[in-house]
Amino acid sequence: MIPSTLRFTLCVAVVCYFIIILYYLKKRMLDLKYTLLWLVAGLVMGIMVFFPELLVRFVRILGIESNMNGLYVLLLAFILMILMALTSIASRQTLRIKILVQEISMMEKRIRDLEDQVAEARSPVPPGSPHPYQGEEEAGQSGS
Amino acid sequence: MKCLIIIPAYNEAENIEKVINNLTENYPQYDYIIVNDGSTDGTEEICRRNHYQVLNLPINMGIGGAVQTGYCYARDNGYEAAVQIDGDGQHDVAFLADMLKPLETGQADMVIGSRFVQKEGFQSSQLRRVGIRFLSNLGWLLTGNRVKDITSGYRVVDRRFIRIFAQDYPADYPEPEAIVIASVYGGRIREYPVVMREREKGESSITFKKSIYYMCKVTLAMVIRRISFGVRRQKK
Repeated sequence: MIPSTLRFTLCVAVVCYFIIILYYLKKRMLDLKYTLLWLVAGLVMGIMVFFPELLVRFVRILGIESNMNGLYVLLLAFILMILMALTSIASRQTLRIKILVQEISMMEKRIRDLEDQVAEARSPVPPGSPHPYQGEEEAGQSGS
Repeated sequence: MKCLIIIPAYNEAENIEKVINNLTENYPQYDYIIVNDGSTDGTEEICRRNHYQVLNLPINMGIGGAVQTGYCYARDNGYEAAVQIDGDGQHDVAFLADMLKPLETGQADMVIGSRFVQKEGFQSSQLRRVGIRFLSNLGWLLTGNRVKDITSGYRVVDRRFIRIFAQDYPADYPEPEAIVIASVYGGRIREYPVVMREREKGESSITFKKSIYYMCKVTLAMVIRRISFGVRRQKK
C-alpha cells in the first residue's frame, strides 16, 4: 500500500492543483478548451489518491512490482501525453499565424497601392518624388 | 500566358535592385512580386523607395512561407502561371520563355529549371551533388518521378498548382517536398536545362553545419508527405 503520510501529501497537492486551475480559469488566463486536459489529469490523480487499491491493481496489471515505481510511470505517461498535446497546439497556432501574416502582407500591399493611387489622383506630383504627401495636402486645401 | 515571377527575399538589400532592374528593363512582359521575408537590412526601404511590387511579411516566415505568400498573391490576382526565382540573381530569367512553353501547350504542369540536364554553369560542390542525387533517388522511389535537380529553386507551375501550393506548401527547405506534393497530386513534371550563376553577393542559406540537419529534415518530410497522402495517390 501507499504510505498514509504520502497519501496525505498527495491529497493536499491535488487540492492545491485544482485551486490553481480554478484561479487561472477565474482570471481568464487559461482557455477552457485546454483546461479540460488538465482537469482530467487532476481527476485521475484524485482517484489514485482516494482509491489507492485501484492504482495498485492497475500497476500489477502493467507488470510493475513496486507501487511507487508504478506511480512514477503513470505520472510520466501523463506528462508525455500533455506535452504532446501542447506541441500539437503550438503547431496549429504556427500554421494560423502563418496564414495571418500572409494575409496581412497582401492587405498591406493593397493599402499601399491604394495610397499611391490616391496620392497620384490628388496631386500633380508623381509618386516617387521625395514628399508625395505635401502635394496631397495642398490639393486638399485648394479644394476646400 | 499571364505569368508572375515570385522573388522571395530575406536580407537581399545588395542584390535586389539589380535583380528587379534587370527584370523591368529586359523582361517587362512578366509581372513580378518580391516577398520581403521580414528582412532586417533595409530591403523593405529599398523596395518602398523604388516603388517595387513588394509584399512585406512582418515576421520572418522562412523561405517556404515567403514563397507560399507569392502563390497566394498569384491565386488572388488570377495568374495563369507562376515562377519562383531566388532574390540573389542565381536564376537567369532568359530561360523563362522556353520553360513556359510546356505549360502553354499543356504538356506539363510544372517545369523545373535544372542544372544537371546538360551540366553547364554553376554545378555546386561535390558533396552537395551527392546529397542532391540522394534526394533525387528518394523522390523517384516515393513517387516514380525522376527529377534530377530536385533542390532547384527555379520552377514554373500552372494555375492548378498555384492553387494547391497557396493552400499547402512546406515551411522550411521546401523544394524537394514540393515536388513530392506535385507528384502525388498527379502533376506532370518536366525538367528544362538552365545555367545557374554562382551567388554574387551574400551567403547561401545552407552552410555545412546545417546540411546534416537539412538532409535529415528533408528526407523525413518527403517520406511523411508521401505516406500521409496514402491512397490519395494520383489525385486529379
